[in-house]
Amino acid sequence: MIQLLQSTAANKSIMLQDGKIYLVMTIVCIILTGLFLYVASLDKKISQLEK
Amino acid sequence: MLRAKWWKVLSFVLLLYTCTYGFVVKVPRLDDRMQESIRNFFFHVPMWFGMMILFLVSLIYAVKYLRSGNPVHDVYSMSYASIGLLFGTLGIITGAFWANYQWGSPWVGDPKQNGAAIALLIYFAYFVLRGSLLDMEKRARLSAVYNVFSFFMLFPTLWILPRLTESLHPGGQGSEGNPGVNGKDMSANMRMVFYPAVIGWTLLGVWISTLRIRIQLLKLKQEGLL
Repeated sequence: MIQLLQSTAANKSIMLQDGKIYLVMTIVCIILTGLFLYVASLDKKISQLEK
Repeated sequence: MLRAKWWKVLSFVLLLYTCTYGFVVKVPRLDDRMQESIRNFFFHVPMWFGMMILFLVSLIYAVKYLRSGNPVHDVYSMSYASIGLLFGTLGIITGAFWANYQWGSPWVGDPKQNGAAIALLIYFAYFVLRGSLLDMEKRARLSAVYNVFSFFMLFPTLWILPRLTESLHPGGQGSEGNPGVNGKDMSANMRMVFYPAVIGWTLLGVWISTLRIRIQLLKLKQEGLL
């Protein structure tokens, strides 16, 4: 954790460190959040139809 | 229950945890054959656990239908089976993709690969059967009976035969107990992500199934069939 913050201080983005694993992780999280937002919007639409 | 929010938020939180910690948790490096790909345990394996749970719920509603004749039970049973099939298909595709790099080819005739393919084909046939029957009550009854048969076919194809013979998958001949829960096939670190991942992915599968159920019920109500 401390090493992460120190390298960020040296102007190396977190995304470029540790074999770019955090880049992969962030991409997966974006995909996951996008999918969940889609499913949640479906849920809302159906709830409205059920009223 | 179908409209409750808490378990849907829980699913998102668990999966966010899986998709973050799953990439950074320390994983064992025993002989450098799997390397980081062992992290697939948090994604590929929960697809199968999810499928099994969804098929189990589908079975329960199939039996409920046979006892009650209530078409709503049939809608539930069909919906859970369809999302179970989705998870199984994702599982087999991700498995083949992983196998291509780990075992040398996407299909190596591994007993679990073959068993899983057979299990999925049996469940695909459930939908072919449904499509071939036009009368609602007949369709519900016959497919419920077939559902029971299909679930029991999971036993030999997934859980028995692959464990009796030599297999590239964990749990083959010579292993002890269930590879998923015996505590020996996964490090404690990994289990901390694996169990929440299974729950998270399964809850997502349940959520999608309930959406399907609600759409089907609305459709049937609109058509005056309910």
